[in-house]
Amino acid sequence: MTGTEHAVHRSLRTRIRENQRPAAVWVAVLLALVALEAGALVDLTVVLVQGMVKAWPFGNPGMAGIESAKAAAEAIPTLLSRETIPNQGWRTSANGPWTNTFLGLEPMVAWLLRFALTYAYVGVLIGWFLYGYRLYREHYRQADWTPTDDVVRRFRSHSWGKFGFVVVVVFVVMAVFAPTLSPALAEENIENPYSYEMQYFDEETGSVETVFVGQANSQSTSQGAGDDNIGLWQYDDFGRFHPFGTMPNGKDLFTFMMYGARVSLFIGLLSMGIMGAFATVFAMTTAYYKGLVDLAVVIVGDSVMSIPQLLLLILAMAVFNGHWLEGIYNGGLLIALVFGLSGWPGLWRAVRGPAFQVSTEEWVDAARSFGQRPSATMRKHMLPYVVGYLLVYASMTLGGVIIGTAALSFLGIGIDAPTPEWGRAVSLGQPFIATQSWHIAMIPGLLVVAVVTAFNALGDGIRDAIDPQSEGGESETTAAAAGGGGG
Amino acid sequence: MSQQPRRQRTASEPVLSVENLRTEFHTDKEVIRAIDDVSFDVHPGETVGIVGESGSGKSVTARSIMGLVDDPGRILDGSSIRFRGEELVGKTEDEYRDVRGDGIAMVFQDPLSSLNPVYTVGNQIKEALKLHQGLTGKAATDRAAELLKAVSIPDARRRLTEYPHQFSGGMRQRAVIAMALACDPDLLICDEPTTALDVTIQAQILELLNDIQDAEDLAIVFITHDMGVIAQVADRVNVMYAGEFVEKAPVEELFANPRHPYTQSLLESIPGRGDADERLQSIEGDVPTPHGAATYCRFAPRCPKAFDECDAIHPAHVDVGEEDVEHTAACLLYPDDLPQEEALAIHQEHQTEAERTGDGDAQLVDENTPPEEEQ
Amino acid sequence: MSRWKYFLQRLVLTVPILLLAMSIVFLIVRAGPLDPARAIVGMGNPAGYHDVAVDLGIERAVRVDGEVRYVDVPLWQQYVDFMAGLLTLDLGQSWVIYPETSVYEVIALRAPRTLWLGFWSVLIALFVGIPLGFYAGLNPNTWGDYTASFGGIVWRAMPNFWLAVILVAVLSNSQQLFGFSWQQLVVPTNVVTAPNLGFLTDPGMFLSDPGRAFNQLLGATKQILPAAIVLGSSSMGNEMRIGRTAVLETINSNYVETARAKGVSARSIVWKHVFRNALIPLIPIITAEAFLLIGGSVIVEYIFAINGLGQLFFTAATKGDLPLVGSLAFIFILLTLSLNVLQDFLYTIIDPRVGYEEN
Repeated sequence: MTGTEHAVHRSLRTRIRENQRPAAVWVAVLLALVALEAGALVDLTVVLVQGMVKAWPFGNPGMAGIESAKAAAEAIPTLLSRETIPNQGWRTSANGPWTNTFLGLEPMVAWLLRFALTYAYVGVLIGWFLYGYRLYREHYRQADWTPTDDVVRRFRSHSWGKFGFVVVVVFVVMAVFAPTLSPALAEENIENPYSYEMQYFDEETGSVETVFVGQANSQSTSQGAGDDNIGLWQYDDFGRFHPFGTMPNGKDLFTFMMYGARVSLFIGLLSMGIMGAFATVFAMTTAYYKGLVDLAVVIVGDSVMSIPQLLLLILAMAVFNGHWLEGIYNGGLLIALVFGLSGWPGLWRAVRGPAFQVSTEEWVDAARSFGQRPSATMRKHMLPYVVGYLLVYASMTLGGVIIGTAALSFLGIGIDAPTPEWGRAVSLGQPFIATQSWHIAMIPGLLVVAVVTAFNALGDGIRDAIDPQSEGGESETTAAAAGGGGG
Repeated sequence: MSQQPRRQRTASEPVLSVENLRTEFHTDKEVIRAIDDVSFDVHPGETVGIVGESGSGKSVTARSIMGLVDDPGRILDGSSIRFRGEELVGKTEDEYRDVRGDGIAMVFQDPLSSLNPVYTVGNQIKEALKLHQGLTGKAATDRAAELLKAVSIPDARRRLTEYPHQFSGGMRQRAVIAMALACDPDLLICDEPTTALDVTIQAQILELLNDIQDAEDLAIVFITHDMGVIAQVADRVNVMYAGEFVEKAPVEELFANPRHPYTQSLLESIPGRGDADERLQSIEGDVPTPHGAATYCRFAPRCPKAFDECDAIHPAHVDVGEEDVEHTAACLLYPDDLPQEEALAIHQEHQTEAERTGDGDAQLVDENTPPEEEQ
Repeated sequence: MSRWKYFLQRLVLTVPILLLAMSIVFLIVRAGPLDPARAIVGMGNPAGYHDVAVDLGIERAVRVDGEVRYVDVPLWQQYVDFMAGLLTLDLGQSWVIYPETSVYEVIALRAPRTLWLGFWSVLIALFVGIPLGFYAGLNPNTWGDYTASFGGIVWRAMPNFWLAVILVAVLSNSQQLFGFSWQQLVVPTNVVTAPNLGFLTDPGMFLSDPGRAFNQLLGATKQILPAAIVLGSSSMGNEMRIGRTAVLETINSNYVETARAKGVSARSIVWKHVFRNALIPLIPIITAEAFLLIGGSVIVEYIFAINGLGQLFFTAATKGDLPLVGSLAFIFILLTLSLNVLQDFLYTIIDPRVGYEEN
């Protein structure tokens, strides 16, 4: 390589070394931002690992270590945590001031503040990444213009896609920051309410009393008739604020929704990962080798697709009932596995077209002709073209997975109680829809509609951004999205 | 250039007479004046070429004549398109349909997508035969086969039962031409009919059009960006730039004696013309998008001969040819036998005249729903 | 390759697909962690267990020294028996839900309700979804278009179970909400019960007792409609969206412009040139619809208490009637594959280009 060539084709690393300041500042601010919420992120990781190990049938080797890790995670100071801005407190006298809440604010205000700050934090974080992209374009990218710029520009002017993006971000934040956003912790309020105590000001005795959370729940139920309802945006008799009201058993619906988002997102992402991996590998190999390989995958894929997905899920949940695999994440892993293993043909079919198209391009022939290994050709010359389409259809299929999971839980065979899942809330609230406790079944349903619509909109947006001419992909899109829509 | 003698312009009435055609497109963000004050005549048996770069408004001209300009496009008030003496601007969609096909037929650029993929070629030709010649059943099949034969498609009877995807590119365009002929038109508008084809096929199609024209005394408007093609087919040529005609001349005259700087650059950019050792010229820049009536020369930004006044005065068409040749150009350099001030004065006068007659506040007219009193 | 050769090829392909799909079902039912015989008999009762296991072909009774011993049948042998049974259409019997009853009888009892439900939901999806989508496509960017498009998107995103739950609640309380009672409308019915389909099993009733038969037909239709609307909802949304884009795309295509230039009337353009082309992308929806119908029927039948095949599958799976589950899965797979074939058939008829690109 000659010197001039070297000067032209500098790697990104060299370019950063030559102009360190913008990158350094950006990374430093990013680290600072992440450090503010490090506790929440470590906590999430620990929860994930714990769920995996808990149900492991061959002994629990690292359980003690995980418990200590969890304690350590909780010890990490976090800016927007329940500890920094607590919202659970009690009055010391009738209509007296609140104690134990942030700055003595009433619980609603304290919770609202924490909620708003969390979303503001995420907004800043996203803004910082966008700024990072701009920095990269200005300082470190060699080309003035790349096709990615056009994709970004088209997406930015796609209001339907942006709507989808915003709602998806709201949803993801719910899942990641569930403990921070909820008025109460799921562990205390939903899972083990009789293991935790709380204090409240009792009007009758005129003093501050201590009670099990479970007892408080049983006196804050929403069951339609008479006074038996804590509706939207209301306090219960124990000074607890319920943004979405309570459930028939008195648990907080908002908390249930936030943790339920966690479960939905986890299953959605995991099954997408499995589907995506299968779909990618098959799309690449079938497009590269065509002929018999393609025929074989067509047959296998069509076989898998000929069994309706929801039936397969019901069957799997029944057969694996009580099996250790079903115990991981309270059934979540099993659901994700079945979705992944049965959903890949839809995704593969959707990207097969673009993969075949790119495989006929001359650069693929060229790579082949100078003896490039097939795997390298697929990875370097074919995959980048297909990845965008994969994202589009994955986004649309995710909506189907969320609906399917909720449907299973509604039928009572999905995620085991008491772990929150949106479908179960609909099932619990079903008897009360026509009463004043309508919120229990209505809100989870509306959330599902919003999130699924958003994932579809995001998919539409990405598709129009990467391929402005492709209205024709519509039918494949739907075929992919319909997979999980049986619920 | 073609060796064959050019047909002389007859004294007959023109088949098509376009005057002051102005077409605009209204979008949320802007108004685009796609065609600005275009006028030309077409006589029976002659081929009028319209040549220009992509985006210059050639296709919109064709669609305006066919009444195919849809929302958000509108033909402005004051425009006139007369076909066989009949005014077309302001006709309703239903009235226009009697003209389309029956009098004027059109051949589009992409032969594959011009044919409906789910019907046989025969079906689509017979559809036109039924509409315009009232032929059905066996008579229609026979006539359709004759037409396919006339456009040199062998084994015509069998071909009628085949689908467009079973035809090759050149054959498809022949079928499209046969379909246009099935309408038995007086005027054929060809919008880049050979652009999507190989060079050899292109030559065959041009020859075919020529033969058909001779046989049927057909008038043809031929639209292309290709100066070479124009030289082969056209009798008279209009050079289009940014929605306006900038030069009009008989074809030999235009090639022998181009006067407008734009035409000159176009000709210089054809390979094989000029000195062999000279580098091929290209015209820098793109065709601008006009948003309203012009008050300056639209070619000025790219013109090698532009001077200050080009940005201030809109050039009018002035005679630039020999005495017996109709050759005009819209450029401030002409008439070149006058001193520059006088020449500019002529153009200036034309511009004020045009502004006075209300070009500026031209009313919008939707061709599909004309005001009551016009009917 | 000709169109019909392509179709034949697709038809032949369904054979290995059916075999493979059934093999997957076999793996889950027989090689999964749940022992089918144990699921039927429950814990304890070893004698009963062996009887069932022998009956299912999981174990074999062998006489050793005059004593009966039970030997496991190898999995491959079970597989051969299982597949042979299905391919000879020997669907076996139900053990838990309808003990000692042949699967055919069970299906004959349950299927009419599911078919009645499926018939109406397909009808609703086709005759509401496609016309609305075409209307939106023919009148793009009007309020009607926006309403139809947005409605289609949201409608599609609504989970069946939620929609069903809400519809049940609304209809049950129609008196308070709308001032008229759905239950008493036209013919008195309940909101959630299986429709009485006596007129289907005994069509002679239309002659012998037309009054009663028509009343039953009316009642059954009214009862199935809410469930059918729910079940057809997502397909309807899909058809609407795809119909809209298909029409838009076709109407802006060159051949439609050519047809207009030819002087073809607006009506003929829509019905001859646009309609048939716009139908092509709608065809794959049929397979998608089969999925939605079969999967969705479980949910909808569960909520509307229509004891059809979907509900049967659900109870059979949760109650451990795995032999019945296997046979039902076979029926469902057969159904999806037939719809696949129907889809290919429609493609072959409507689109002359089918099979051409493969050349």
